[in-house]
Amino acid sequence: MENDSIIKEKVKNYVLQAVYADKEKIKDVTLIFKEGYFDSMGFMVLISFLEEEFGIKTNDNDLLEENFESINAISDFVTRKKQ
Amino acid sequence: MSSKKPFSKDIILLSDVEAVANEIILKLQQDVLHNLKRLGAVIGTSGGIDSSVCLALTANAFGPERVLAVMMPEKDSSLESEQLAKELATRFDVKAIREDITPALSGFKCYERRDEAVRRVFPEYNPKTHKMKIGIKQSGLSNNLPPIFSLTIIDSNGNTEDKILPVNEYLQIVAASNFKQRTRMTTLYYHAEALHYAVIGTPNKHEQEQGFFVKYGDGGADVMPIGNLYKTQVYQLANFLGVPKAIIDRTPTTDTYSAEQTQEEFFFQMPFGLMDRYWYGFENGYSPKEVAEVMGESEQKVKALFGNFERKKKTTEYLRMSPIRDYYGR
Repeated sequence: MENDSIIKEKVKNYVLQAVYADKEKIKDVTLIFKEGYFDSMGFMVLISFLEEEFGIKTNDNDLLEENFESINAISDFVTRKKQ
Repeated sequence: MSSKKPFSKDIILLSDVEAVANEIILKLQQDVLHNLKRLGAVIGTSGGIDSSVCLALTANAFGPERVLAVMMPEKDSSLESEQLAKELATRFDVKAIREDITPALSGFKCYERRDEAVRRVFPEYNPKTHKMKIGIKQSGLSNNLPPIFSLTIIDSNGNTEDKILPVNEYLQIVAASNFKQRTRMTTLYYHAEALHYAVIGTPNKHEQEQGFFVKYGDGGADVMPIGNLYKTQVYQLANFLGVPKAIIDRTPTTDTYSAEQTQEEFFFQMPFGLMDRYWYGFENGYSPKEVAEVMGESEQKVKALFGNFERKKKTTEYLRMSPIRDYYGR
């Protein structure tokens, strides 16, 4: 089972390669949706990535800001779903 | 000191509907007859409020004898749409023709490509027994997450299933469905060129600015007479111009997927009357606080809404852009 730091590393690598922005600006706590790094399509691709990479299934109740707002939030969300 | 009017719920209402109608009619005459040098207008009529108001304006601008209304149903269209479009053409004494675009769409494999993607999500989906639609999953308007789409199928007994749409299937379903709008556009241009007429585009302000149209589909036209009007204003014009009541009273639908779907459900996520007022506040620089007080909402919610509008404008800019061609000799 992947530990938290591996999950976070994978999420971070994904987010950094997915955005066309100055990568120095995106920290673990950066609000990637609020600040406009991800749009609707980016959100859908992100969910597909998380499902394929971590074998989780996202359902309607998961579509909350607190689960996706930052690299930290996404990593925590994946960790919770895998438990 | 700013001369801006205080924000109010009535701020978007046209105070002199007749004057606005006349202004649009005059500009249509100027643009189509003088600037574009066309002899009249072709318009696709769906039985919806937007195309109905455009037809009424166009008939007033050029005279009914120089307007051709084209109904373009396909196998997923509702029968009601066609009946209303006929009623409208009769009301304004405009010649209406019917072009069934189903064979053209079959030739493009529109249905086949769409259904193949639907079956990847729901293997049991059978287009002969199921209806389908895509919609927005969560209410992204009041938080900072962008909308995400879901696929719904409904069997012949009315049993409904829905799932979050994976990105590849979403893209394929939308791309396949967009054949419909693009086939309508190319059909309109056939008739327009055959008659030396202009094509009238029917998107309203929200559709234009929030990107609720298909590039080179319903976004492909020569003039868009209501492109700067809020939906509330379109209804004001409809009442003034005498659009049939059945059209005015009908809930706006997408008429794109086999299952019934309102525009609110698919795209706008709130009733148009509210959307109009929030959008007005947003684009005219009213503070979320002022708008929130008038609309009886929290300032936080209005701030999130404005953020959502801003993102929607940015992310749909591609749809409004003309081809970029300044690659040499800039």
